[in-house]
Amino acid sequence: MKHVKSALLAGSVAVAACGSAWAGEFDGIELKMLGIGDTSVTRLAPIVDEFEELTGAKVQIDMFPYPGLIDKIVIEASANRPSYQLMWVDSPWVGVLGESGALEDLTDWVIRDAEELHLDDIIPIQLQENTWQGRLIAFPAAGMIWHVNYRKDLFGHPDEQAAFKDRYGYDLAPAKTWQQYIDIAEFFTRKAGETLAGQTLEKDFYGNAQAYSRVAGAITHDFFPIMRSFGGQYWDDETGLCAIDREAGVKAAEVMKRLVPFNPPDYLGLMWDIRTGYMERGEVAQSGYWSVRTVRLTNPEEAVLPTIGEAGYQPSPTEDGGPMETMTGALSFGINSKASDREKEAAWEFIKWGTSRDMMRRFANEGSGVSQFHKSILSDPELQERYPYYQVLLETQDTAKRRIFHPFYADVEEVFGVELNKYVAGETDSAQEALTNGCTKINTRLKVFPLEMRLRWIADPKADIFN
Amino acid sequence: MAYSRKRNRRIFLGFMVPAILVLFCTTIYPMIYAGYLSFRSYDLAKLFVPRVFVGWANYREVLSSSEFLHTLTVTFKLMLMTLSVQLVLGVGMALLVTQRLPGMGIIRTLLLIPMMISPVIVGLVWLFLYFPELGYLNYFLSFVGVSPVPWITSTQWALWAIAIADIWQWTPFVMMGTAAALTSLSQEPYETARIDGNSNWEVFWHVTLPQIKPVLISLMFLRAIDAFKIYDIIFVLTKGGPGDTTEVLSMFIYRQSFTFWRMGVGAAASFVSLAIIVILITLFFKSLSRDPQLA
Repeated sequence: MKHVKSALLAGSVAVAACGSAWAGEFDGIELKMLGIGDTSVTRLAPIVDEFEELTGAKVQIDMFPYPGLIDKIVIEASANRPSYQLMWVDSPWVGVLGESGALEDLTDWVIRDAEELHLDDIIPIQLQENTWQGRLIAFPAAGMIWHVNYRKDLFGHPDEQAAFKDRYGYDLAPAKTWQQYIDIAEFFTRKAGETLAGQTLEKDFYGNAQAYSRVAGAITHDFFPIMRSFGGQYWDDETGLCAIDREAGVKAAEVMKRLVPFNPPDYLGLMWDIRTGYMERGEVAQSGYWSVRTVRLTNPEEAVLPTIGEAGYQPSPTEDGGPMETMTGALSFGINSKASDREKEAAWEFIKWGTSRDMMRRFANEGSGVSQFHKSILSDPELQERYPYYQVLLETQDTAKRRIFHPFYADVEEVFGVELNKYVAGETDSAQEALTNGCTKINTRLKVFPLEMRLRWIADPKADIFN
Repeated sequence: MAYSRKRNRRIFLGFMVPAILVLFCTTIYPMIYAGYLSFRSYDLAKLFVPRVFVGWANYREVLSSSEFLHTLTVTFKLMLMTLSVQLVLGVGMALLVTQRLPGMGIIRTLLLIPMMISPVIVGLVWLFLYFPELGYLNYFLSFVGVSPVPWITSTQWALWAIAIADIWQWTPFVMMGTAAALTSLSQEPYETARIDGNSNWEVFWHVTLPQIKPVLISLMFLRAIDAFKIYDIIFVLTKGGPGDTTEVLSMFIYRQSFTFWRMGVGAAASFVSLAIIVILITLFFKSLSRDPQLA
């Protein structure tokens, strides 16, 4: 039955693709994609031959690790003769790629093919996330939010519930405030030999796993969403200069430092994948991260947790437990602006095929889902039962805010990566000092540009595709 | 006669031109271009940033930057840590491998292996050893009751972790150079010293060491220059972290050039680094010419 369902879906994807590109239409065209080795690409790579059969174009996907990928893209963008026609884009890169004119403007194509793309079914913030100065320069292949994953089985264990209530005076439940999050992290941090949910631990168990590494600014990928949950902003609205060192930023950095004792001992080296690994192996009680990795928690082939326990999902805590915009993000596909017109057309067909609603539904049905961005998929009751985090993804994006999209993002990521890492390592005395150091360095680079330019870089006009 | 000279000249040029071309393409031109870049604002990623002549601004920025001074301090600290251990260990090992004992030839060859491995691979090997939680080193230490050491993720240990990897790789180099010097020493002073009733230590201190001093100084300077440029192992193991504990001068240049894409600032920092190496080499030659034994 499962195979029949998959075949039918594959057929529907093929039929949908045929609607726009006819067999052999792109014979002789070779497309190369500069991609990442993560779900938004790895799910697609094994089935590109289906696209090749449909259109005649040949597709080669080169996958690289996230650290260093933007460097390759930057070099590619500055080359006169491009080697890659398609590029995987993390949404914070749209500023530097957009301002440099490295990516093709997709706005007109998207408006033209809106019906085929089921544009009104895509969560609007996921499209906005890919805009630069109102123009769409990449198309979402995975939509994500930063949220909290936790050990639902442990949180529901009667012994743990009683012990928690006894120690902290309130019920054990997924954290709504950062103070609760810290309490839970502290409560669940246990040494080997102690008891956890009635079992004696063979190895240490941790209350939390966060990315603290400075490598490729990994620490900022957690810090910025936490700062956002305190209501923080990146930039000053009037000057276009760094505002990360304000109260919300300081509180976020302090939260991260207070969580240090409840993290694995190698916390200063925790990258995204190492951190998510702790959750996937069921070795931590909770961990906040981007939903692009959450998909693995539901798949026993990719994570241990589904076989030894159960994952629960929760929006990011906030300062007082009240609502606050979650931070969203998009992992997308863009077209190299230096590609030939024919290559651009073929690349656009590929993007439509690889990100189509049918393809996304196919991934979800096959169990190898990506972090979804279509409302109809995220709200599908059957899929929600299978992927409980869909509910969180759907609900939080109604009021979600964009990630940073400034042309100086790489500088911000690197500078604050080092400053925050130094702070949590104890090399800098206070959060305020660390963030002020970071802002000073960034502002030195920004101040040489006129005010008008700085303000334009932080402006986020509504995407033209919505007008 | 004239024909022969002309012909010789042609042959001479025929041999020289390929070498000059390679040297020009791989060293001279890049250096001239880097010099040109060091006086310009040149951002490879942000094509909208004007690429203009900025005079000495990049050099001023580098020399007045606290980060640069910090990286310079870390570089010299690491150099001191590695050189001192490599010198002592290398000499000790050289004394050992030059003994006429069975199997010493094989041991000598095995000891040279680390030196022949690419530094990136050395970094990866040590990454497996140091890796927090899953690393072999902590696994083996646990058998003797030592709790896990956060080798590359602690500000206390990270620089030592780098130094250990570098010492492992380059001690054989010092050993090899010293062993070569030891085997070429004249036996007469040793016989005299022993007839005078000197202990082994006294013989080493008063006879061996003065004789191998020129070689040791050469080895030390060669290693110092290499240690000054250390990059690969750090890039693989810590990328300069945690915090900025292992951020050496080469990492600073890399970050400026290929993380921030500020090629001008990176080029200026490279020239400052080159100037420091030139000073080191000058000191080396001066010390050679000052010591009559070395001269």
